[in-house]
Amino acid sequence: MIEFNPADNKMVLKLVYYGPALSGKTTNLLQLHELLAPEGRGDLMMLDTRDDRTIYFDLLPFFLTAPSGLRIKIKVYTVPGQVRHDSTRKAVLQRADGVAFIADSQLSETGNNVASFENLEKNLALVGLDIASIPLVIQFNKRDLPRVVSEADIDRTWRPTGIPIQMASAVAGAGVLETFSILAARTFMQLDERWRLERDHGLSQEDFLRQLSVRN
Amino acid sequence: MSNVDCLEFLVGAEKELRDVLAASEVAPLLHAAVTAGAHRALVQSGREVLWQWPEDPVVATESPTCLMKALPLWLEGEAVGEVCVEADMTHPAHDALTRMLAAALNTAMNANLKRMLTTEIHTQVVNQSYEELLAANRDLTASEARYRELAEHLEVRVQERTAELEQTWARLLRQEKMAAVGTLAAGMAHEINNPLGFILSNLNTLQKYVGRFVDMLEFFNHRIGACLSADLQDAARNKWRDLRMDYLTEDVAELLPQCISGAQRVKQIIADLRGFAHIDVAETAPVKIAEALARTLAVMKAEIPADARIEQRLVNLPELKGNGALLCQAFMNLIRNAVQARPEGLELTIRGERCADEVCLAFRDNGPGVAADLRSRIFEPFFTTREVGQGIGLGLTVVHEAARAFSGRVEVHDAPGVGAEFVMYLKAGEGGDG
Ligand SMILES: Nc1nc2c(ncn2[C@@H]2O[C@H](COP(=O)(O)OP(=O)(O)OP(=O)(O)O)[C@@H](O)[C@H]2O)c(=O)[nH]1
Ligand SMILES: [Mg+2]
Repeated sequence: MIEFNPADNKMVLKLVYYGPALSGKTTNLLQLHELLAPEGRGDLMMLDTRDDRTIYFDLLPFFLTAPSGLRIKIKVYTVPGQVRHDSTRKAVLQRADGVAFIADSQLSETGNNVASFENLEKNLALVGLDIASIPLVIQFNKRDLPRVVSEADIDRTWRPTGIPIQMASAVAGAGVLETFSILAARTFMQLDERWRLERDHGLSQEDFLRQLSVRN
Repeated sequence: MSNVDCLEFLVGAEKELRDVLAASEVAPLLHAAVTAGAHRALVQSGREVLWQWPEDPVVATESPTCLMKALPLWLEGEAVGEVCVEADMTHPAHDALTRMLAAALNTAMNANLKRMLTTEIHTQVVNQSYEELLAANRDLTASEARYRELAEHLEVRVQERTAELEQTWARLLRQEKMAAVGTLAAGMAHEINNPLGFILSNLNTLQKYVGRFVDMLEFFNHRIGACLSADLQDAARNKWRDLRMDYLTEDVAELLPQCISGAQRVKQIIADLRGFAHIDVAETAPVKIAEALARTLAVMKAEIPADARIEQRLVNLPELKGNGALLCQAFMNLIRNAVQARPEGLELTIRGERCADEVCLAFRDNGPGVAADLRSRIFEPFFTTREVGQGIGLGLTVVHEAARAFSGRVEVHDAPGVGAEFVMYLKAGEGGDG
């Protein structure tokens, strides 16, 4: 959590899209921005890019108000996937409330996915977060391409971890909202446990999700 | 950021309207709106008016068509303030003017926010990289220091090993030397003993013969001489006198016993040497401490000053197993050091007693003693406190080795009063390896 200021009655959350270079993190945010109505969300802020590759981050902010009057801002970030931008990834990852790991389904990218996931684990630890407890969802993107790792293989590998898996083709907008919803739901559950959003602020998970994903 | 003592920039830290809009950007827009016909234009956050034009507004004109129109200013999806225009809103241009104003301000806010975020993350990353570089540098320096230490340590290790090798080498050399000396002594003793045997027995025989010659001469002198002619008697007396026969017969009686006792002393010295070097003793033979000490003192007779007093108090000592020659050598070095430490008026007490499973042999002298800072070094080979050229080492390494050969050790203490006390602790019962 970036900040929670009870006096100001404002909670600021952070969700991070992580993953290897070119896996489609920015595309996910672009699609979210396309698919969702402008109510309750801000503009997509894409900080300087180089050849369309993220250098710093992209930011898509959401804003909603709980029945109690608690104002909740949710900032959704992408990190740069290129190995060399590790400092930036660390900086963006600080105080994250949830992470969507965007993997590239192409068989050729398996090594990069693994390396990036290990990098996520390492950086989470560095910023004082625990990969075992932070809300996490994994998206296998680019399902539209040939020579991708099979769903059966993915299932075999990841089911034992209990981490939810979402297939996607982000360019086409498929699986994008689903991924976001799963992440938002998991994040909400964890926040609710700690801050009693439903009991003290009258904000149910359904309300939360509905307000976050008003379709165009 | 809520955490005050945390100065670092946090990606996502909240911004206020004032953070993303500057007066210099807002004022010209508000001014332009008024110039275009609005009565008043302002930007507010909650109830607080942040900027307005004119700066001191006159009280609003009471006109039913003069209305206040407000449009939200968005920051990351949240309405953080509004821009308000007071104008005759029946005029369509004024409504458009308000929208234009809101659009311009929202665009400026977005642009500023983006610039700020870029600067902030850039600064953060640069700082972090710099700190990581510093940390890497610190690590490198530390590891370099470790390697340097290792290298220095290595040098010390090499020195230690070299010293060890030198000691081993010196020990080997000494053992070789002793073995050579032993062989030489054995050979010499044998070579000397044979002719010495002849010499001694012949001398004894010769002494008997000479006695008889002298008797015979006496007999001639006193009995037969009187029967000779006066001439012959004179000649015989003169000859006797010329040949100093009186002195000769007297002297020969002393010369021969002296020769014999001299030859006997040579015989004794050789026997002592053989005993000292343990030439005739099997290597496994038990070592008698008192005997070893006696032999050592015997061979050293010549170098121990006449005024030296050496007192032995050996009580109830068991026999030891080990190299007797080495032990004699050790005794000799201890005694020699005492003599050299106190060339005149030496009082050396040699105490020997059994304590538990050890034999404790203490050599206490009345010399100047051993300085405390030298005590750890005096057992090194070639260590000496004497001037260069006055012999190598104190021979204490041999003492140290002998003690070790008897599974024991040697220590040096201050003797009560003045002097030094060297104490050898030797293993009684089961023997040493030497
Ligand atoms: N075929 C296919 N291409 C995709 C899909 N999603 C993204 N891409 C393409 O993959 C490329 C990289 O996408 P980005 O979203 O910029 O990747 P990123 O993860 O943000 O990359 P970095 O910013 O470098 O970390 C773009 O050319 C996208 O059009 C997909 O589902 N299918
Ligand atoms: Mg990107």
